[in-house]
Amino acid sequence: MNRSLPLVILAMAILAFATVMLVVAPKVQIGREPAAAGLKPYTTEQLRGRALYSSLGCVYCHSQQPRAPDQAPDAERGWGRASIAADYAYDSPHLMGTMRTGPDLLNVGARLPSASWQLTHLYQPRAVSAWSIMPAYPFLFEVKDRASPGDRVVWLPEDRRIPGKVVVARPQARDLVAYLLSLDRTYPVPRSAIRDDGYSRGGATQ
Amino acid sequence: MSKPGPVDEAYEPYEPRRRVPLPVYWVAIALALWGALTLWQDSTADRTGARERLMEANALERRQTMTGSALFAERCATCHQADGSGISGAIPPLASSRFVQADPRVIVQILLHGINGPIVVDGDDFNGHMPAFGSVLDHDQLARLATAVRRTWGPGGIIDPRFVAAERARTANRGIPWSGGAEIAAALDPAIGIQPAYHPPASASADTTALSIARNGKSGGWSCASCHGANGEGRDGVPRLAGQSADYIAGQLLAFANGSRPNDIMRPVASQLSASERGGLGRLYAALASPSTSRSELAGDLARGAELALYGDDRRNLPSCFSCHGPSGFGVAPSTPSIAAQQPGYTAGRLAALARFARSRPGAVMPAIAARLNDTDRRAVADYLATLPPSPVTARKDAR
Repeated sequence: MNRSLPLVILAMAILAFATVMLVVAPKVQIGREPAAAGLKPYTTEQLRGRALYSSLGCVYCHSQQPRAPDQAPDAERGWGRASIAADYAYDSPHLMGTMRTGPDLLNVGARLPSASWQLTHLYQPRAVSAWSIMPAYPFLFEVKDRASPGDRVVWLPEDRRIPGKVVVARPQARDLVAYLLSLDRTYPVPRSAIRDDGYSRGGATQ
Repeated sequence: MSKPGPVDEAYEPYEPRRRVPLPVYWVAIALALWGALTLWQDSTADRTGARERLMEANALERRQTMTGSALFAERCATCHQADGSGISGAIPPLASSRFVQADPRVIVQILLHGINGPIVVDGDDFNGHMPAFGSVLDHDQLARLATAVRRTWGPGGIIDPRFVAAERARTANRGIPWSGGAEIAAALDPAIGIQPAYHPPASASADTTALSIARNGKSGGWSCASCHGANGEGRDGVPRLAGQSADYIAGQLLAFANGSRPNDIMRPVASQLSASERGGLGRLYAALASPSTSRSELAGDLARGAELALYGDDRRNLPSCFSCHGPSGFGVAPSTPSIAAQQPGYTAGRLAALARFARSRPGAVMPAIAARLNDTDRRAVADYLATLPPSPVTARKDAR
């Protein structure tokens, strides 16, 4: 290879430039952003649910980043206001996702605050929406003859019940629901918050 | 001719130096210019966003610091009329009203909690159904409004925001409107004089079945309260039910059950309910006078929302909301729902959903109107309706 040294130097310089612009500069910009006033740190139970959310691969179909009205009608879909950097202060790693095969979940705790609904839906999404393509998670539940004291029984519509049995949530299912219900960024945006204004060029507000 | 030497394995051919063709420079320069132009254009988005937020904040500030008389024009004049003369037989006058003349606690308490019951003003009988402004106006706004009313039609003087705050704290756990003039006179200022007695509706006994379904769900199903809140106040995209017409709620539960209002979340629970349970739940939520928890949160233009709600938009063939949904959006029982103090996420989402039925249900009124609203208008009107006081709980709504 001729002139290999200049080629290597050039390649390194391009990589370094990209790293500075895409990694270092954003870190400097949002790394010091404090958590939003209305945001609570996750509890241990919620963190266990969050780990389960990662391991089950929910992030491949569900984003956690509602967009501004100029970009997408997410507010009217009930997904909440556009997210800001401070919304993710306690998320490590963040689970923003890129695919929207399913709805955005950053505010699912505000949109669907019923824990019993969440349990039914996780056990069998088709029990709620016949057309849903979300996988069912029966392994987070236990089918028993009768519920013991302290068990969380999952309600199912009549056509989904198993005769003579009850479906009970395992601790994992309760952790996951605790995490889902903690997803609630409906507090007001701090005035000085860093946010994405990339789409506010007058489009929808003109 | 010399003998060929051994082949040089390390030899690599290379092009001799040649000038870069001119078109390559042109293309590179054009790309650089295009990039710079795009960057410059995009940088305006940042300023536009900041300017929009500033305008929004200013509009909010203007609303918050509105003078008392401006507040009266916006919040009260629709019913009590700009000159405070009221509407004969329906809305009591403020001019020559003993309630305005009385101790300042009276006007503040009426504004905070509203009235539901008979009241005599200036010798005329009224069936009082004043909305409660306690959850939509702050101490300062209430103080300015009360001061303006008393200055125009009462003894004058200034009502201090701290006085309003103290009155609010004193009756924080009240939860229901004042039941007519008699209770106000007895509790706040006997000088108001003799007032008609309040007779609670005969059917006021608690419906334990409905209460149990609302709190715990039917046979282990999802309960109403688990999404709609303990007091039916709703949140975000979940609608407020408190103060809604009983027949409307029962009718929608039936529509969810038979699929004429498609909703995957409501269908499984609604199809479990019997007709009497649907009616019971309707009456339960109709009788709740919960404070409004709705706040404008869709960044909608409140002035545009007010215009649409009050006057509509002739150019776009949009009738005003209030022409069908009643004054101040309080609803017209049995079939036109209350839209005042509704959660804005629900209102905007419902309008967007209704628009999709415009073609499949050509005769329906609301889908056709919803289809003519664009995204900006949906958010504007939803945010405006969220600023209104909740629909007053009246005896009319739980008649059946």
